[in-house]
Amino acid sequence: MSRDILVIAKREFIERVRTKAFVIGTILGPVFMAAIMIVPALMASKLAKSVSITVIDAEGSLRTLVEDSLRGGTGTPEAEKPEDPMNARPRNVGTTQFVIKPAVGADVAAQREAAKKAVLDGKLDVYVVLPQDVLKESKAEYYSKSVTDFEGIRAVDRAIEKAVFAKRIGAAGIDPAQIAALTRPLDLKRLRVSEEGEHEDKGISFFLSLILVMMIYVGTLMWGQIVMTGVIEEKSNRVVEVIVSSTTPRNLLFGKLVGVGGAGLLQFGIWILGLVGVSAASGSLAFLSGLELPALNPVLIAAFPIFFLLGFFLYASLYAAIGSAVNTIQEAQNFIFPVMLPIIMAMVCWPVVMRAPDSTLSVVLSLIPFMTPILMFLRMSVLMPPVWQIALSVVLTSLAIALVIWIAARIYRVGILMYGKPPNFPEMLRWVRHG
Amino acid sequence: MTHALQLKNVRKAYQEKVAVKSLDLEVPKGSVFGLLGPNGAGKTTSIRMAMDIIGPDTGEVLILGQKTDKSLRNRIGYMPEERGLYQKMIIEELLVFMAELKGVKPAESKRRMMPWLERLGLGGLHRKKANELSKGMQQKVQFIQTLLHDPEILILDEPMSGLDPVGTNVMRDAMIELSRAGKTLIVSSHQMATVEQMCDRVVLINNGEKVLDGRVSDIKASYGKNTLVLAFEGDGSFLKGLPGVAAVNDHGRYAELKLGPGADPQAILKAASDRLRITKFEVVEPSLHDIFIERVTEVPA
Repeated sequence: MSRDILVIAKREFIERVRTKAFVIGTILGPVFMAAIMIVPALMASKLAKSVSITVIDAEGSLRTLVEDSLRGGTGTPEAEKPEDPMNARPRNVGTTQFVIKPAVGADVAAQREAAKKAVLDGKLDVYVVLPQDVLKESKAEYYSKSVTDFEGIRAVDRAIEKAVFAKRIGAAGIDPAQIAALTRPLDLKRLRVSEEGEHEDKGISFFLSLILVMMIYVGTLMWGQIVMTGVIEEKSNRVVEVIVSSTTPRNLLFGKLVGVGGAGLLQFGIWILGLVGVSAASGSLAFLSGLELPALNPVLIAAFPIFFLLGFFLYASLYAAIGSAVNTIQEAQNFIFPVMLPIIMAMVCWPVVMRAPDSTLSVVLSLIPFMTPILMFLRMSVLMPPVWQIALSVVLTSLAIALVIWIAARIYRVGILMYGKPPNFPEMLRWVRHG
Repeated sequence: MTHALQLKNVRKAYQEKVAVKSLDLEVPKGSVFGLLGPNGAGKTTSIRMAMDIIGPDTGEVLILGQKTDKSLRNRIGYMPEERGLYQKMIIEELLVFMAELKGVKPAESKRRMMPWLERLGLGGLHRKKANELSKGMQQKVQFIQTLLHDPEILILDEPMSGLDPVGTNVMRDAMIELSRAGKTLIVSSHQMATVEQMCDRVVLINNGEKVLDGRVSDIKASYGKNTLVLAFEGDGSFLKGLPGVAAVNDHGRYAELKLGPGADPQAILKAASDRLRITKFEVVEPSLHDIFIERVTEVPA
């Protein structure tokens, strides 16, 4: 390898790392990620909602049962279920705390009138009316200024339902306590099976590895674009002619990729350290104590730089070829889409691979070099594939990189000294053939 | 004697256009060599082939008698016609970077750049970014960049373009000094007047072909003293009608009269002094400019 490559890479690296955008992005990245982890957990503990409610019972025997349910004695079943990992909704978010307000008035009609007035005056949030024939008809009424608090409505629905069921079961001569024991709500735990044993997956750590996949996607395109902009700049301010009088276009291209890739890697490295740091520090930080913060799989952290670089080298060399062929960023827009297409396809295939990570289709897709950086890494975060598949994908992608760089270098060599009307694709192919 | 640069029968064609047709060129070591010709004549293409930026379709390029390679290219300094610096880079780091590509250690290039910056009026500006300097200043930075690795051969494409009169003088003095220090200077330009006083040898090219080649003094001598320079007061518009005057380059109070074969300068002076107050009269060799115009127009392509 030529020393020139190192000299060029060093310059590129230093120039990128020095920009304000890099410094700000590097600092804000971890802040943003910490926010993703901490805010939902904080919300869970701080944002429990309080709703005042009055139960108006025309049937006569249900009120205490419903009120107990609402108070959470035997609980609002919904709120006790663990979070739903697919929605990554931490525990208890939106949990409604009901404050029971007794009904005021001599009869049901008076109680309804009083409750309605209280709601309109803002002294009461909700009142429910249990009609006389509720046990028979299974119909009750929910009154509030707004009826969009689905979480609360569902809790109220469950509480009334539970009371009505208990009453009916009691009427049938069965002990309600026994029924309660028999119909206890089910808690479906999600467990991942792996060689090291089974462990409960809280869902959110999986969610974090998906963030890593997104980072590869966004990072590849973003840093690739930075390479392209750099090439266009060099061309438009005519520096490139002096440089290729000192070294070969190939060295310039390669040095650029190494330098810019290094800057990208540094930024991601700092981000991931921040991520790991926040996870580790959460125990010792007072305001975070008691919150469960997710941990990242170390294998994924180790694989991240490799897959990022694979994606970056593959796409950035194509971006560089485009940059060399055009004169302005506007002209480049026409060429960018075809280059981005494979990586976008990879994102489109995401759900397919996530649903069946070890299906033949997923394996094949993840071995296609232009999709490997996204899909193989995705498979690794969903269900660790066999090592030979990972190794094969890395080898195939590396071969593809060698080929793409060879092609890109030929376009680049001709392109950087071409001014005027940008070429079309057939013309670029001719450069590759004769370059 | 080895030549600093030799182009042997090189040809370069782009898709629709032949930029250089079969050019032979020899630049003696230590000479100041002018590569002259109008815009689009093929100068820049020839220089790019000399720098191995583009390869010739046919023919051969020799630097110091050898085929070019990286270490040979490190002995050349190249300033292209289209100037430019990394706009956001600090001058000092920019110069260090460019010199490092030519194999000079950073400490060494830092040491070397200071006297040059000082000399070209850029003292104290080495920590400024390129885009904080004026265009003329950037051009001087580029000149320093061209010679910081102490090259034996300097190839300067249109070195004076874009410089103000003071800058032109500074540049010319620096070039003369480099020439006296034994460097070979290859200067390409379409402004022949600014280069002809400086060059020992010139090659004139037009449409990718050599039109003239030789020592400046020989070329001029071969054309003889066929030009009459007149400075005068009055209306000189009648001059071109005088017998024996083939062409007039009329500047208002000053005119260059190209004489036809057998014309008598004294007769023309007499005719002119009848109607004008003559303040200067001289019979001189033609300028390269005139020779070039003549060569290009007399042989229709």
